[in-house]
Amino acid sequence: MDHLTALENKSIFIIREAYYRFRNIAMLWSVGKDSTTLLWLVRKAFFGEVPFPVIHIDTTYKFPEMYRFRDEYAKKWGLNLIVGRNEGQVEAGMGPGKGTKLDCCNELKTNALKRIIEKNGFKGLLLGIRRDEHGIRAKERVFSPRDENFKWDYEDQPAELWDQYKSTAAEDNHFRVHPILHMTELDIWKYIKRENIPLTELYLSKSGKRYRSIGCAPCCSPIDSNASNVDEIIAELESSHTSERAGRAQDKEDAYTMQKLRSLGYM
Amino acid sequence: MDPSNKVFVLGIDGAPQTLLSEYMAEGVMPNLKKILSGGYSLHQMDASIPDVSSTSWTSFMTGVNPGEHGIYGFMELAPNTYRMTFPNYASIKAPALWDMIGGTSGAKSSTLAEKFKGRVPNDLRSIVLNMPETFPAPRLNGVLTAGFVCPDLKKGTYPDSAYEYLRSINYIMDIEASNASDKPDAFFDEALFALNKRAEAFTHFMDKERWDLFIGVVTETDRLHHFFFDAARDKAHKYHERFVFFYSRMDDMIGRVFERFMDATGGQGLFMTMSDHGFAPIRKEVYLNRLFVEKGLLTLDPAREYFEQIGQGSKAFVMDPGRIYINLEGRYPGGAVAASEKNAVANEIKTLLLDLKDSDGNAVIKRVFEAAELYSGPEAGRAPDLVAVGNDGFDIKGNIKKPEVFGTSHFRGMHTRHDAHCVLPSGAAIPERLHIENLAGIILERFI
Repeated sequence: MDHLTALENKSIFIIREAYYRFRNIAMLWSVGKDSTTLLWLVRKAFFGEVPFPVIHIDTTYKFPEMYRFRDEYAKKWGLNLIVGRNEGQVEAGMGPGKGTKLDCCNELKTNALKRIIEKNGFKGLLLGIRRDEHGIRAKERVFSPRDENFKWDYEDQPAELWDQYKSTAAEDNHFRVHPILHMTELDIWKYIKRENIPLTELYLSKSGKRYRSIGCAPCCSPIDSNASNVDEIIAELESSHTSERAGRAQDKEDAYTMQKLRSLGYM
Repeated sequence: MDPSNKVFVLGIDGAPQTLLSEYMAEGVMPNLKKILSGGYSLHQMDASIPDVSSTSWTSFMTGVNPGEHGIYGFMELAPNTYRMTFPNYASIKAPALWDMIGGTSGAKSSTLAEKFKGRVPNDLRSIVLNMPETFPAPRLNGVLTAGFVCPDLKKGTYPDSAYEYLRSINYIMDIEASNASDKPDAFFDEALFALNKRAEAFTHFMDKERWDLFIGVVTETDRLHHFFFDAARDKAHKYHERFVFFYSRMDDMIGRVFERFMDATGGQGLFMTMSDHGFAPIRKEVYLNRLFVEKGLLTLDPAREYFEQIGQGSKAFVMDPGRIYINLEGRYPGGAVAASEKNAVANEIKTLLLDLKDSDGNAVIKRVFEAAELYSGPEAGRAPDLVAVGNDGFDIKGNIKKPEVFGTSHFRGMHTRHDAHCVLPSGAAIPERLHIENLAGIILERFI
C-alpha cells in the first residue's frame, strides 16, 4: 500500500470509529485546505454521504472567496451545514481592530462554537488539525477530551497506543477527534493532488503572493510565492523551510504575551 | 582566564530582603544563613521605577536607567497611536552585561559601556538562564534561554544545542499562573517542578559549558508572591506550609549552586543573589484611570478596547503600574493638551494623587515622580510624564475598565520598589544604599 493510501485508511478508520462511538457528532469546516480534505475523507468513509452536521464558524471576517466556496460545495455535496455566529458580539462591533485579537478569536470563534455545542449536545467534534502545524499541536491525541470550559489538560491524556482510543469522559465533556492529525502539510497537498480535491483559489499565487494558511482576512498575510497550481505548491513546500503559520506568528506571540500578563494582573 | 574571576548571579524574582531575613532567623533558609556567616552580607536594595520585572531586570542587565535602555514596562503604545505593543529584548537600546564582556554590543552603547570600554575583555562567555525580558534570544557569546515573557522556547533560546538540551529535560519556560485560584495545589506543584528544572539546567550548564559570567534566574518566587504573599508570614494560612516549603527548596538550590561555584573557583569567584523588586501584601488595588474618569481628566469610548478607548478631550491616562502619560497634542492621535498646558495638567494630577485617600482615610500615594527626576538618556523622551508610587498595600493599576477607583481581587501581593535584596561579599565597595542599576558595574569591575 502506498503512503497516501495508508494515511487515508487511518483517517477513515478514525472517522468511522468516532461516528460509531458517539453518533451525535459534527465536524468543523473552516473551508481551509485541511478541513476540506477532512470533509473529503468523511464523504469517502460514508460512500459519498456526510451523515452528520458540518459546522462553519462564521466570524464575518472570512475572505469572500471562502464564503463563495462554502455555499457552492455545501449545496453540491448536500451538507447539513450549521453556520455559527456570535451574533451579539458581531452586532456590538467585535473585530480584530477592537481590543485584542485574542478577545476577537475568543468571542467570535470559541464562544460561537460553545453555543452550538450546548444547543446540539454534540458528544464528538471532528477537526482537521495536524500535528506538524504548531508546537502545541504535537501534544494532541486523536481522541482528545475537552471540559465544559473547552479546557484541554495536555498533561493528563490517554496514551493511545496501538489505536486504542479512549472515548469515555465526564458528563459535561465532549471529545475532539482529529482524523488527519498524522498528516503533514506536504501529505495534504499530495493527497489533494491525487484526489483532485477542490479548494479556494486563495492558495494559488496571484501576482507573486499566495496564502499558505487561511482564516480571517484581517489576520492572515500572504507569502511570497509563484506557485500557481498544486504541483508548484508541492515543489515549493519540498524546498521550503519556513513555518506554515509564519504569516500568523506575531499574532500568536502577542496573544500569548497578553494572556501571560493578564494572568499576573497587568492590563 | 583565571577561574577566580568568574561571577555567578542567582536572581530570585521578587524576593524581598525583609522576608529573607525573617526566614533565615526562623531556620527556613539555613544555607543562605551559612553563606552569610561565611563572609557575605544581605542588603536591602531599590528597584527601578516602575518596579515591574521587565524594567527592573533590564536595568540590572544593562546597568543603566530606563532613559537609556528604553524599557518602561511590559506594554507600550505604538508611536502616534493608542495601540498596545509589547516591548521585548529587541526593544532594549543599551548593551547588556554579556554584550559588554562578549564583544556583541554592535551599535549599542550606554554610559556604563563607555565607562568600561577597553577596560574589560570582549571575549568572555556568559550563560543567561530564565532572565525576564530576553526574548527573542540574542546571539550572544554564550548560552541564553529567555524568561518571562517567552512565547516560544526555540526562539527564546540560543544556540540550538541549548534548546535541544532544554527540550530533552522537559524544561518549562513558565508556570500556569491561572491555576493559582482554582487549582492551588497544582500551582504549587508546578512551581516546585519549575524550580527543579531550573536547578537541573543551571547545574548542567555550569558543568558542561565554558563560562565567565553565569546569571540564573528563578521566577516562581514572584508567582507565589502574587497569589499567596498573605501566606508568607501567616502561620494559620492554609498554604503557609507550602509557601515556606518552596522557600526551603529555594534555599537548598542556593546552597547547591554556591558550593559548586566555590569548588570550581577555589572559593575566589564573585557570588551574588539578588531580586528585581520586593513584595508587600495588598490591601487594595487602585485603578487610577477610573479616578481620572471621575475627575474629568479622561473620557472613554466603551465601544473600543484597551487604550484605544481614550476619547476626545482626554488629558491623561495611566498604564501599569503607575505610569502617567499626558495626552499631548502631536504625541497622540487624540492629543488634547497643548505643550504650554502640560505643566499645569501635571500639577493638577500630582495634587489629585497626593490627596487621594481610601475609605479608611489612608493616604494611597507615597510619591509622584516627574520624568526628569527619574530618567535621563536618549530614550527619556518616551518616558511617562509622571510615575505614581503607592504606599505599601496600595497596588497601583493601569486597568482601564474598572467601575470603581478601589477594588480587591485574587491577587495577594504587590511589587515594592524599596525591598529588593542583594547578597554580596561583605566589604564589597558599594554605595550606602544599593540600587539595582549599580550591580552591573560591580560585576564588570570584577572582569577588569
